[in-house]
Amino acid sequence: MSTAPTSPGPARAPVYALVGNPNCGKSTLFNALTGLKQKIGNYPGVTVEKKIGTAYSQHGHALTIIDLPGAYSLAARSPDEAVLRDVLLGRRTDTPMPDRIVCIADATNLERNLYLIHQILDLGRPVILVLNMMDVAAQTGLVVRAARLEKELGIPVIPCEAINGKGLVELKLAMSRHDLPLSRHSWEIPAPIAPAVSELAASLVDNDQRGPLIARAEALLLLTDQDTVRVAGSRPLSARTTEILRSWEKRWQGQGTDWAGALVNSRYDAITELCTHVIERSAVKTGASVSDRIDAVVTHPLWGWLVLGGVMAALFLSIFTLAQVPMDWIGDHTAALATWVKHTMPAGDLRDLVTDGAIGGVGSVITFLPQILILFFFIGLLESTGYMARAAFIMDRLMSRVGLNGKSFIPMLSSYACAIPGIMATRTIEDTKDRLVTILVAPLMSCSARLPVYLLLIAALFPSAAVPVGAKVAIMLTMYALGTAGAFFFAWLFKRTLLKGEPPLMIMELPPYRLPKMRDVALHMLERAWLFMKRAGTIILGISIILWFLTAYPKAPAGSTDSQQIAQSFAGMAGHALEPVIKPLGFDWQIGIGLISSFAAREVFVSSMGVIFNAESSEENTAPLRDALLAAKWPDGRALFTPLVCITLMVFYVFAMQCMSTIAVVKRETNSWRWPLFQTVYMTGTAWLVCLIIYQTGRALGF
Amino acid sequence: MSVDARLQRPRMPLTELPVGAAGRVCSLEGEAGFCQRLREMGFCESAVIEKVSGRRTLLCQLCGTRIALSDRAAQHIVVELIRGGA
Repeated sequence: MSTAPTSPGPARAPVYALVGNPNCGKSTLFNALTGLKQKIGNYPGVTVEKKIGTAYSQHGHALTIIDLPGAYSLAARSPDEAVLRDVLLGRRTDTPMPDRIVCIADATNLERNLYLIHQILDLGRPVILVLNMMDVAAQTGLVVRAARLEKELGIPVIPCEAINGKGLVELKLAMSRHDLPLSRHSWEIPAPIAPAVSELAASLVDNDQRGPLIARAEALLLLTDQDTVRVAGSRPLSARTTEILRSWEKRWQGQGTDWAGALVNSRYDAITELCTHVIERSAVKTGASVSDRIDAVVTHPLWGWLVLGGVMAALFLSIFTLAQVPMDWIGDHTAALATWVKHTMPAGDLRDLVTDGAIGGVGSVITFLPQILILFFFIGLLESTGYMARAAFIMDRLMSRVGLNGKSFIPMLSSYACAIPGIMATRTIEDTKDRLVTILVAPLMSCSARLPVYLLLIAALFPSAAVPVGAKVAIMLTMYALGTAGAFFFAWLFKRTLLKGEPPLMIMELPPYRLPKMRDVALHMLERAWLFMKRAGTIILGISIILWFLTAYPKAPAGSTDSQQIAQSFAGMAGHALEPVIKPLGFDWQIGIGLISSFAAREVFVSSMGVIFNAESSEENTAPLRDALLAAKWPDGRALFTPLVCITLMVFYVFAMQCMSTIAVVKRETNSWRWPLFQTVYMTGTAWLVCLIIYQTGRALGF
Repeated sequence: MSVDARLQRPRMPLTELPVGAAGRVCSLEGEAGFCQRLREMGFCESAVIEKVSGRRTLLCQLCGTRIALSDRAAQHIVVELIRGGA
């Protein structure tokens, strides 16, 4: 402990970092330790989620817990792993270096899990090792001797079943200890590499102000880090250290020494040696496990597709049907709130601002909360059961046709809910070009914000109640299919032109199937709902107010109708300015206002139409608005919303990039304005072109 | 370098290993960074892999875990057949 470089202040709660492989049960343990006392944010400069929670020791003292991203090695490949490495090495300026590290290992696959932990033991910090999933290990005939491992490593080793809450008390007891021993495990660095390690470590101490123990670990890491992923917000290495590293690499390259391979292998040798004493495999192997049997169906070339299709169908069906009741409820209540305000406040601009601007705008967006909750519930369920990785596996074949791999499927699926979590999910993709392509095409997947626009336009398309529901659903599915096809097409195009690259080599672990942990799924859902509400409360509220202002000013002369007011307002001017561009698509200036306001968020289209056509409708019931749309005419008396225009408009919404939040997220993810701007231009350009073709062809055919 | 005591055992890339058969990793080929990734995931020399299924995307069992690999990734892994298969 004498070498700890940062001694915690007396007032500060000790910081624990949770570290482990993906799928080792780290999040479950984090949730079990911290409950609802979690704070989720981002590491500045990179969109890697930063999860910090508070737990309490056995003595009631607060402990700060950082849940670090899962990784297989400290040698980073993706931004996620780079954050893990940099936090542990104290390279990040925004996060305190953890005082203690809790390593979690999946007991069923101890050897592989120990690789990362072995690297962490090198750091010379107090470590507690948790052996999770002891129950599953026992079921598969593995005996893991925790006591023996504790003796070998010299650190506390705690057997645990996080999912059943077993071993948590023991873990908390260990975390509450004032003194934690350092690991006494040592391993042999291959002889040709040892001098380089000492020289680099010395330079790290002298030039980079590292403690001696951590310097050795960092030196080892520098030698295995192939192309060091640097992320914003992390301190760079000193020039001297970099120079030493380069000169050694050059020497080895001349000699033909595979230094990285030798280091990895000698580490694995040390681990294998450890495991021979710790793991005992009972000879009786009980045939195929449950996971194996499920996998035989789910990853089958034919049945697998049927299962995936069934899951997707169930997902969309529940989004469209189950959400209706709570959506109506929210719609009724926001309408009631607006009415109540109308009766209590004196008439005037302020009242209109509150009812039409604030309540109307935000209300129309909050209505989608149930759908978003259902979608995240499904995604959480699929993730926690382990099915998501299978879906990615099945999709890999299809995705490889367009030059992406199965890992890009998860972000694209999430984008059906909302492109923002989808784009954030791309951070597990290792290849930067693939990640960028996935980010560029993800917003083409029809998100839930487009749904109300589709619903309104379909209602205008089929005004009579006689039209069977099937036809409406078919149109809706066509729009979803169109967006999906567009995403695949552009992925293919970008991989061939702009971001040329080999299709990536995919390696992905498929976690064993588990019963979903409802508490974790619920936490995940609440987290997302809260983020969504925050967005509704800030950005969308602001835009609604601005939009209301733009439609209300400058004031038309007294006595003029509402539509005259809008025609000569700022919004009307913008719509008129846009009209020449969108007239070839069959849209007039009023639709133009809707399109402009949609750049804030697509769902705003519905409320803008409500304001513009002055239909006293609430979101849950589109009938009055539908009738107002159908009554709308061009100045020459032609109907505005012909079936052809409705379809063209829907197609426009399929392709156009109309979401400021997405643009902001893409900017943050790619760290430049170039990509979000490119994305906006290519998507909106495509939308315009496709709509032009549809409308003009339709006209020529006499529709 | 592993000692070639079992030269009679056929060697092949993982893609060629028959479904249901098990193979021992002999060598990893290709770009250094990718090989290191494979090693860190547990595909070290002398590890035993069982191929569960797959033509284009393979499903393998490697010391207790299921791992999916694209065929292009699997081509870099040379294994010797130790059990099963024709």
